[in-house]
Amino acid sequence: MFMGKTPFITVRASRPLSEIEFCAWVAQAAPGDRLEYHRGYLVLDTYPLFSALDDKARGELARLAARAFWAAEQGLVHLVQARVGPDRFAYIAVARPKPKAAAVSLSALLLDAQAA
Amino acid sequence: MYTPLSPSDLATLIDEADRAARRLHRKLALPAADLDDLRQDLLIDVICRLPGFDKRRGTIGAFAGIVLRNRSSRIAIQHHRQRRARGGTVLSLDAPVAGSGEPLGCLLAETDGLAAWHGQDRDTQADIQTREAVQSALARLPEADRRFCCALAHRSVTALAAEGFGSRSSLYRRLADLRHVLTAYGLGPCWDDLAAA
Repeated sequence: MFMGKTPFITVRASRPLSEIEFCAWVAQAAPGDRLEYHRGYLVLDTYPLFSALDDKARGELARLAARAFWAAEQGLVHLVQARVGPDRFAYIAVARPKPKAAAVSLSALLLDAQAA
Repeated sequence: MYTPLSPSDLATLIDEADRAARRLHRKLALPAADLDDLRQDLLIDVICRLPGFDKRRGTIGAFAGIVLRNRSSRIAIQHHRQRRARGGTVLSLDAPVAGSGEPLGCLLAETDGLAAWHGQDRDTQADIQTREAVQSALARLPEADRRFCCALAHRSVTALAAEGFGSRSSLYRRLADLRHVLTAYGLGPCWDDLAAA
């Protein structure tokens, strides 16, 4: 009997991703799905002296990198790198199973807030 | 000059209002359930105008006839205006649908309801999914962020700043961060839509 392989989906954005797009991918990704959220040398690309990006793009990239790190801290993704050339890496987020948490009722919260 | 009403005068008013209501109801092709409302509207209008009745100028029946005719005319104009605004159709939920004995209210799907009219394409399943997503996202938020969300449910950022939650700019920064956090937890724009854009 053969075990079926889960078809992981790898996404490589054709344009620089924004922070909200990364978050939307995290919400929708199935465990094992991969997103290449940046290609280059992240530390240098976000550093004003060395980066070839303009201020706006550099700021967006810094926010994206910080959000990716946040997602990893929350247990939503693994962050890995793949070397694609000299001083050039693919920065990849691998979706993890969503952490379980007991549901919290919004109405109960609002009632508690009013009572307090 | 106000004249006290006798029981026969009152019966005349009721009869006139009933006749006028039936006439208007037939002309406007309204649902049966609207007849009582029309009759009541017309009768109230006549009673409100009774202080202007002068028996030296005519009978109470003639007075009621003029008042009811004017009131019927205003109701008809208002009704036609509303009907034009809704594309020329009757939108009463009690109105039977052509080709079916059922009233419109029994045949409408939830997506055809008032919410859908206002651009909210909601149904029970979508509501349940949204509620579950909200509960799940709230469960993952830190306690401070949950309190912040609850506070925002009833008050503006300006009000919160006045109550000592922090400066307006820091509250807006926190809101912007929360938008990303909630999106990552499934309460935000869809990846497929963003990727397609």
